[in-house]
Amino acid sequence: MSASKSLDTDFLSSEKRTLFRFSVLYILLTVIIISVFSFIYYELQKDLMLQEKKSTLQEYSKKFLYDLKQLHINFDKTQVYPRYDAFDSAIFDNEKKLIFATSDTKIKLDKILYLHDEVIHLVNIPESYYLGAKYVIIKMKDDGLWLEQTRREILIFSTITFMFMLIVGYSLLRLFLKPMRDAIQLLDRFIKDTTHELNTPVSTIVTNIEMIDRDMLDEKLLKKINRIDIGAKTISNIYQDLTYLTLGNKIISNDEEVDIEHLVLERIEYFKSLASAKKVLLQMELRQNTSLFIDKGKISKLLDNLISNAVKYNKINGSIIIIVEDKKITVSDTGIGIAKEDISQMLERYTRFNKSSGGFGIGLNIVASIAKEYNLHIEIDSEEKVGTKVSVSW
Amino acid sequence: MVKSVFLSLFFLISSLHANIYEDNCVACHKRLPVSIDKYFYKYLLIYSGETDTKNAIINYLKVPVKETTVMSDSFISRFGVKKATKLNESQLQEAVNIYWEKYKVFGKLK
Repeated sequence: MSASKSLDTDFLSSEKRTLFRFSVLYILLTVIIISVFSFIYYELQKDLMLQEKKSTLQEYSKKFLYDLKQLHINFDKTQVYPRYDAFDSAIFDNEKKLIFATSDTKIKLDKILYLHDEVIHLVNIPESYYLGAKYVIIKMKDDGLWLEQTRREILIFSTITFMFMLIVGYSLLRLFLKPMRDAIQLLDRFIKDTTHELNTPVSTIVTNIEMIDRDMLDEKLLKKINRIDIGAKTISNIYQDLTYLTLGNKIISNDEEVDIEHLVLERIEYFKSLASAKKVLLQMELRQNTSLFIDKGKISKLLDNLISNAVKYNKINGSIIIIVEDKKITVSDTGIGIAKEDISQMLERYTRFNKSSGGFGIGLNIVASIAKEYNLHIEIDSEEKVGTKVSVSW
Repeated sequence: MVKSVFLSLFFLISSLHANIYEDNCVACHKRLPVSIDKYFYKYLLIYSGETDTKNAIINYLKVPVKETTVMSDSFISRFGVKKATKLNESQLQEAVNIYWEKYKVFGKLK
């Protein structure tokens, strides 16, 4: 099994959009090319058919002109226009005024041989204008056999060409995407390996710090221990994120009714040391207590990522307020904020807008992933140099 | 419909009271062995439409020369070229209009 499959690696939505656009454009171009060739082929077949019928029409025209001449000579005796079973006819004077026609088809006098409404027209200009007829039109019904044959050929040609072009397009796409796919696989493999190697040392550090009796420590040592605590928690958070990222989809959820106020207070306590290191005020505003039926580990991960980001991108002496209200949690910070045009990309994996702080750009992707799993609605509002507000509602 | 009624009346009145065409054209052509309609169809054979045919007849009547006649050489040799008309422009136009209406092909074919 390849690494990409085992890690459920997929393309980012922007890459998917690019692929989709490429595919649409490629298919559209293929269809246009096929249509143009089909049209040219149709026109050629039509011309071929017209040329084949031309000699027959000229024969009819000759016969008709002979009869018209006879009628012209004997017009004082008879005015019966010549009619035939095999074809229809019409005559026009030099002002293109209709003298007589045996059928009602609309006629174009500027063309010599053409097909219109399944009727083949031959426009003839005789040397002598019998009965004033400068334009003699011979009309013959098209049997349509050539059209059936041409349609069949175009359909077969179009299908084969389209399938061929699809195969070519797919091969090209795979070829072009290989470097990008390889890069993503490499990154995911690296994260998986790193995660595995971090597990034991992180657990040892966190457990041992928790076991230290801080009351017994002098102030200087306590500060040092606190700094170690903050560092260990930061590593622990990254470790948990990476674990979720690599195994998240395979973890079986254990959903339960989670008290949000209790959870928020618990997470505030966890992040207290991290926030105080940056002199950031971290507090909760309870407007109305609420609960959510969810896996506690996952909602903690979601909250941790939001709080961790709020601390990480906050300014010194800034503040973070977590507002709990009915079916909604809002994390507001007084941090660096983000440009409006970048907000839509915030939830994508490996997206980072501030390279000065550490991170892999996976935190908010995890938030989005958990939100998607539990149908939570995420709303991000941010202003550069003012702060960011992330709301999760359900 | 109105037009045909009007034309019928026109020809009825024309037959009762000889018109400019009857007086100046038919009167002379009666003396020739070729009936007047044959000349009309000769013009039609060459000029096709109403405007061109009427103009050709008027031009010939004003300046009748061998080079512009529609009749055959043998006919000209035998009967010669007619004299130029003495009718003025409007009279000529009126006479030719009557001539056109009388022998035109439009509406006569069955």
